[in-house]
Amino acid sequence: MKKKAKVLSVTSMAVTMLLSLAACGSDNDNPSASNTASPTEQSSSNTGNGEKVKLRIVTLTTDENRNNIMEQYIKPNVAKALPNVEVEFEPGGGGEDMANKLKTYNSSGDMPDVFWDDAGFFIPLNNTGSIMDLTPYITKDGFLDKYDVPGALKHIDGKIYSLSSGSDTYFTPVIFYHKDMFEKAGVKVPTTFDELLEASKKLNANDMVPAVTPGKGGWGPQLFLLQQMVQIGDPQAMEDLVSNKTDFNNPSVKAGASRIEQLVKADFFPKGIANLDYGPAMEMFTSKKAAMLMMFTWELPNLAKDDTVDFFPFPSASDKYDSAKHVQYWGSPLNGYAVNAKTKHPEEAVKLAEFLAMMDAKYFESKGAPVSLNTGDAAPEPGPLMKKFIDWYNPIPTKIPSLALNSLDAKVSAELGSQGASLLTGEYSTDQFIEAMQKVWSQNTWFNQ
Amino acid sequence: MNKYYSTKMSIFVFAAPALLLFTVFCVYPLFPEIWMSLHNHDGFRNLGFVGLDNYKDMLSSSSFWLAHKNTYLIVGISVLIGLPLSLMLALFMDVQNPRFRRIFKTSAMFPAILSVTVVSQIWVSFYDPNWGLFNTILKSIGLESWTHSWLTERKTVMPSIGLSFLWQYIGLNAMLFYAGIKTIPKNYYEAALIDGANFVQVCIRITIPLLQDITKYVLILSTLGSMAFYAQVRVMTAGGPGDTSRTVVYQMYYTAFGTSEFGKGTAIAVIFILECLLISFLIQRFVAREKLEF
Amino acid sequence: MKTISRVFWLLISCTFLFPLYWMITMSFKSKAEAYSNPYGIPHNWDWGNFGDALSQYHFFKYLQNSFIYTIGTIVVTLAAGSMLAYCLSRMQWRFSAMTLFYVSLGLIVPIEVVLIPLFQLVKLLHIKDSYLGLVLPYSGFAIASCVLMLYAFLRSLPKELEEAACMDGANVYQTFQKIILPIIMPALVTQCVLLFMRIWNEFPLAFVIASKDDFRPLTVGLLDFFVSVGVSDWGLIGASMLLSSLPTIIVYMLGNEKIENALTAGAILK
Repeated sequence: MKKKAKVLSVTSMAVTMLLSLAACGSDNDNPSASNTASPTEQSSSNTGNGEKVKLRIVTLTTDENRNNIMEQYIKPNVAKALPNVEVEFEPGGGGEDMANKLKTYNSSGDMPDVFWDDAGFFIPLNNTGSIMDLTPYITKDGFLDKYDVPGALKHIDGKIYSLSSGSDTYFTPVIFYHKDMFEKAGVKVPTTFDELLEASKKLNANDMVPAVTPGKGGWGPQLFLLQQMVQIGDPQAMEDLVSNKTDFNNPSVKAGASRIEQLVKADFFPKGIANLDYGPAMEMFTSKKAAMLMMFTWELPNLAKDDTVDFFPFPSASDKYDSAKHVQYWGSPLNGYAVNAKTKHPEEAVKLAEFLAMMDAKYFESKGAPVSLNTGDAAPEPGPLMKKFIDWYNPIPTKIPSLALNSLDAKVSAELGSQGASLLTGEYSTDQFIEAMQKVWSQNTWFNQ
Repeated sequence: MNKYYSTKMSIFVFAAPALLLFTVFCVYPLFPEIWMSLHNHDGFRNLGFVGLDNYKDMLSSSSFWLAHKNTYLIVGISVLIGLPLSLMLALFMDVQNPRFRRIFKTSAMFPAILSVTVVSQIWVSFYDPNWGLFNTILKSIGLESWTHSWLTERKTVMPSIGLSFLWQYIGLNAMLFYAGIKTIPKNYYEAALIDGANFVQVCIRITIPLLQDITKYVLILSTLGSMAFYAQVRVMTAGGPGDTSRTVVYQMYYTAFGTSEFGKGTAIAVIFILECLLISFLIQRFVAREKLEF
Repeated sequence: MKTISRVFWLLISCTFLFPLYWMITMSFKSKAEAYSNPYGIPHNWDWGNFGDALSQYHFFKYLQNSFIYTIGTIVVTLAAGSMLAYCLSRMQWRFSAMTLFYVSLGLIVPIEVVLIPLFQLVKLLHIKDSYLGLVLPYSGFAIASCVLMLYAFLRSLPKELEEAACMDGANVYQTFQKIILPIIMPALVTQCVLLFMRIWNEFPLAFVIASKDDFRPLTVGLLDFFVSVGVSDWGLIGASMLLSSLPTIIVYMLGNEKIENALTAGAILK
């Protein structure tokens, strides 16, 4: 039962990818899984003429969304969509499990034909020639044209390695809050960082926990909190950091880290935040033990079910930042279904990757989440909170990529999580944080690829 | 008799299967491991030979030494506190009537048969700073100032994890001791009891000295078991906050799989295995050297 | 004094049984109640968790695989381990002490450390995607503790019985089979139980090696399910923990009696 352990240690980059797919609600109207249990074996008996092509796929199996996609979309449709292919599904788990599994396979020459790729382990896989450039295939068969912004699929070297539903680019961290709790404590939606601290004081005085976010393994600081705290003071500095034009000695970056320390010292977060897991953090907010939740909008459809929930963008800490002009976006062109460059059946494998990306898109779209892959289905009307989000998010001119996905090699990423968790304990100073981060940042290998 | 039994043939037949299995699956993989530790390896591919650089880097990193401190704290807790408690429990079980003994035996082993995950998760909920069992109790008896955020404060995190570990394995070790106690011939006790010795004296004079072999076994098992301490940390704190609760094996795992520095991770593994070798050598050398004859 | 110590240990015993109580009560709680009432008796007994847990993966297939791995490992380990322990404790040969030390090395190699070389080895031997692919590595790793324990037991046994058998003209194999094995049965049963619990709960190696659905043990099979419910639905998690721990609990309950009987039998023999 160790896998539980792995799930709980939400430390690695990769886990965040998985969660990024947890875009939508968990309304589990999951139809009987028994109907679709192992349809691969059953459905692959008598179609087509001649030999069937066998393909092996390792994919994410970490959350409810992934399982729903597998049971309700992929398994029932795969035989019809790809009649000449026999697919062997292998659960990859997620996070460290998935990375370890692929590392083991790759080092012993046992890579599957199709697999879920992830910015966290893309570089080494690509360097061993295990990932195929999909551009010629998907240009030829027209799949590329189904994307709203085909250019967004390109890695910095101009090649396309992964196919995804594109729902990732609509994810951004915001602060969710309970309207009734704010009202009771006499708190107005804060628009500046000082007002946020003020709100924290009032909520604490009313015996409410002001805010939660997952802190175990430094999840929050690693994925968005540091970035937000820096960019609300100086968005330019954040853009520079993401593109390697500055480093952790930049005063604006340091000011960002010290804002985290300020929040912790002001009891903005509950005790033990540094060991608070994703699930319990969500629970604290939904059960109204905490008034605010700092979280990505992939939880929006889920949280919108509660009428008292609303959200606001991160409040500003200087006049350089305007929440209508700057926003952090999630996503990386590397996250998605990739094809093994050494596969014996490239044509079929690419078709399979296309099919999988399409199933993802159909699923997320049916849940009311925006996707950038055109499914041909009629998208359902978004709810009021989702509409508010889209109306705010779409016109924002400066969308800053996520530091966590677009600038860090495995080591810096792991260290950012670990140092970030220390910062959340209140026993660790900003200076210590900056010194340790600058040290690993100076050896960052991400940009030398 | 020994001459007749110990022919080359019979020794081979008896020793070969186990040694073969052991060598192939347990020892052989160490060699690729050592090779890796001399290279810059990211888990996917080899980036070149670096000699002993990985070892130097690791020996000069503060996380590595913190991990050692944490690991030996756990070893200390389980050997210096855990073993005496287990032995006491075993001695205590021995003098109970069978019905009581059964209750104790069954319940004492219970935590050990469950997976570490289940047990650790329960302790995580005990330690929760806001509504966990410990802080709730402390608050209700007016010791508010003693409450802690057990798993995130630097001072309390390792002892807290250590306590859960202690609790999980006391029963298992007690069972092993108890099995040892059962092999001691009853007439030893009878003789002592005729001399008028009380329970404690019997334990000190007879039971404990005669338990040498089993003690050595339990000692090795729990020393090495606690040196490889890892899964609990992974569930309870993921080594955090920061590196404060990482043990050596966790540090190795973090370095290899977390930061993708397999060369450095395997260097930790090699150093660690050498340490374990040294310690098990010391135990073999200094504990229970005399062969017991009944 | 006696009463005090009895009360003390009785209290401790209660804490030992707490996880069982926790798992059972948790598995009957709804998602919301698991948080609002983490330690108490469920207000509403919700049986749905078990059905949900069972319907989401091939429980019985995985259960069968887990049994095959566990029993296979026990058989291989005990057979090979008891022979080596006997050889080390009774036969006289030059490298006996060294071999004992060599084998004790096995206690200190955590399986996670050698995952990659081990995987390559299993592929090389063409036993991946077969039951042997896990049984043999498990046995290799389990042998050390098995040999050390049996060795300790054998050393504390008197030699008279074997000498008698020897006089009767039995050869070493017959002596081992007819005299030694029955005597060390208590220790073998104890090992059996220990191994069962260890192999049943093993995860990291099984996750990589038993990747095909047909060969997955319960721990790996449960992965999908466990992670899919996230870390928030404790009722479901409790139910699946209980279901998957049930075999170990049952084996322990049965084995527990056996150990007791076997130990007393061993004591009488002497």
